[in-house]
Amino acid sequence: MNLEQTNDQFDYQTLVNQIYHDEDFDFVGVAIQSKNPPHSIKWSFVAGNTNEKFRKIVLRSGIGIAGLVIRTGKPFWDNDLTEYEYSSKMYTPIANTEHLHSAVAVPIVETPSIVSGVLIAGYHSNIEVSNETAQKLSQYL
Amino acid sequence: MLETAQWINNYFNESTDAIMIFKDNELLVSNHMAKELQKELNMNPKYLLEIADSSVKQKFSPTENCFNCIIQNKMKQISIPITLAKNMPHPLSYFMIYNVIDQEEHVFSLTLKNRGTINRMDQLAQQRKLTQYVNRANENERKRISEDLHDSIAQGVYSAIMGVRRLSDTTMSPEKLSQLTDVIQSQLNDTLTEVKRMALDIRPSVLDSFGLLSALRVLSKRLQENSGVTIDVIGNADTSGLSNDIQSVLYRIAQEAINNALKHANANEISILLVSHDHFITLEIIDDGDGFNVPKHQTFNGRSLGLMNMNERVKALNGAFSIKSKLNEGTTVTVKFPVA
Repeated sequence: MNLEQTNDQFDYQTLVNQIYHDEDFDFVGVAIQSKNPPHSIKWSFVAGNTNEKFRKIVLRSGIGIAGLVIRTGKPFWDNDLTEYEYSSKMYTPIANTEHLHSAVAVPIVETPSIVSGVLIAGYHSNIEVSNETAQKLSQYL
Repeated sequence: MLETAQWINNYFNESTDAIMIFKDNELLVSNHMAKELQKELNMNPKYLLEIADSSVKQKFSPTENCFNCIIQNKMKQISIPITLAKNMPHPLSYFMIYNVIDQEEHVFSLTLKNRGTINRMDQLAQQRKLTQYVNRANENERKRISEDLHDSIAQGVYSAIMGVRRLSDTTMSPEKLSQLTDVIQSQLNDTLTEVKRMALDIRPSVLDSFGLLSALRVLSKRLQENSGVTIDVIGNADTSGLSNDIQSVLYRIAQEAINNALKHANANEISILLVSHDHFITLEIIDDGDGFNVPKHQTFNGRSLGLMNMNERVKALNGAFSIKSKLNEGTTVTVKFPVA
């Protein structure tokens, strides 16, 4: 691990903590693509987690709202995350392990066109998320 | 009219049921099948008559303490299960049906229906259901693969093509160009991962080249990454002596059981144990989830790859399959196969 990576880590953990404190989200997390092969994307920085399952999850591009953000580079949100079955394309592992009812995910972009990670924030309860929530979240990046 | 009578006569004679018509307790007429039975099994019509008679008496006896009598009395006919040729190597099970044809003239019939045929029909109906289900499952699988190909693979390749097309733009600065190649590379990488995942889902090549235990490890690692649930594989079993069929079934059952645990059980931890013994091998999938009421789900519902299907696959290879589960106490699926 080089100095730059430790810097990165520090930044994202602070960012996650800050969002968790400033806003009313129940869970905030950042998944970052590893610099080393096989370049897997894992939830490395979280706040408000209810268990440790997030550590085991490896994000799949195009699957679930976080995966769609990785694939498309566009924000995604959903207000019925508990509706999706395990086999569904919209099934979002992190939403399931953290019992998120609604969540919004925005891309973390390295250069204008490369998505290197995703920032997600969500609620355990029925609080609706929308485009505004996504924009608010993007402001932190 | 004459012709019709002839047809009815033919039908009566060639029926696969043995039919006998009595008047005043004397055999009046019997069809071909009945005569055959009489000849071959030394069956005496009087004996059948006595059986029918006693069951008629039983039916109207007020002393009999029978819960089903209400239903029985509503039946116009009386059916009696009966076994013929008891002392021969292959006893024959029949239903004897007592049917009154003419009350005043005391004419009635006794019909012997082969119970084996009826059981066979039941089996056939069950089998048809199963075939239908397997066909549907097959079709659904194809649909899923086709959708996956279209949605993930085709999309990924398409966007990579679009990227490559943009590369020919000569006005692009070197920095932009390197960015674009990075994007294309990551798109192709994603697609490659997806292709590998699909190949693994359809049929794990690890199973053929490195054996069941390795295949189970790969499977559990992948499902752990998809769900966050801890999945451990414990075992030292040497599976090189197992037939391909048994290995496949064990793999599919592990896959199905883990998927069930992830879908329905809310488990935190799943353990897979593969242990070989002297002359048998056992596979256990244990989860610490919600558990469920087993008998409720044991029947065939024709939609999901239910417990019955798991059971059928194991039984077909002389194995034993069991599920233990209690509400809030997790679920254990056990499969055992004999090994030569």
